[in-house]
Amino acid sequence: MEFEPPMNEEPDEFEQQLREALERRTAPLSLKRRIMARRAARRPQKMVVLWQRLAAAAVLAAVLGGGAAWEAHVREERQRGEAAREQVLTALRITGHALNQMNRQLAAHSRDEE
Amino acid sequence: MAHDWQPDFEQLVDEHQSMVFSLALRMTGDRGLAEEIAQDVFLELDRHLGKIESPEHARFWLRRVAMNRSADALRRRRARCFDLWVEMEDHHGLRLEERSSPLGVRLEQLLTTLPPPQRAALVLRYQEDLTPEEISATLDAPLATVKSHLQRGLKLLRAKAHDHLREYIRVKEQARGV
Repeated sequence: MEFEPPMNEEPDEFEQQLREALERRTAPLSLKRRIMARRAARRPQKMVVLWQRLAAAAVLAAVLGGGAAWEAHVREERQRGEAAREQVLTALRITGHALNQMNRQLAAHSRDEE
Repeated sequence: MAHDWQPDFEQLVDEHQSMVFSLALRMTGDRGLAEEIAQDVFLELDRHLGKIESPEHARFWLRRVAMNRSADALRRRRARCFDLWVEMEDHHGLRLEERSSPLGVRLEQLLTTLPPPQRAALVLRYQEDLTPEEISATLDAPLATVKSHLQRGLKLLRAKAHDHLREYIRVKEQARGV
């Protein structure tokens, strides 16, 4: 090594001078006031951000809830339509059956007359 | 991890503002910039207050962030070494002679001419009285690197101070007509 590490020895005069030269400086009197002012100014912004987040969450919940309700409504309408279609088809089957029966009776009656 | 200590932001500012300001001042050589850095460091502390576990942790955290922010500022502004001190006295009204001896003032000025890593190690060593291990933890640098910066920085500063002293004596002697 070119020279000994300074930290393991007694500090020499130069190091002592350096230590004295590098004593902490007193912070400007206005520093704390400015820090506290900037901190206070930031607080309302935090509240605004919080409210914005809450509003966004409420809107999202409303959109999702509305979507789910609309989906349920559409499903219910589709089920009702299916039931009505089934009823119409049943009525048509019954009518067809009655008409066939009447047709057979008319045909039998015509054969009897002949 | 649960901890009983409840940090009081205002008290932390009271206790550590001089430390943070001095670190930033010694690193940047610019009083206005040092004030800005100190403000930013404490506002960052406010954001992280919930993670601070003890007074020692607060001191360590503040030192570390102050050094990091100062290094960032130096990178942005490309430190202009000695000229910064001239600018500082011209524009920010700092009266260095008020407190320090002429050699102390000169040492403080010469410190700003060192490369930033050496300056950081010396400031933490001689302003904050940290051990090389503590400096290593604060700067997040290997211990061997920190020791090297301390040795090289001190050697360079000694040489510069020696040159300055010789020049000072020569000028004094010229002034006296020797």
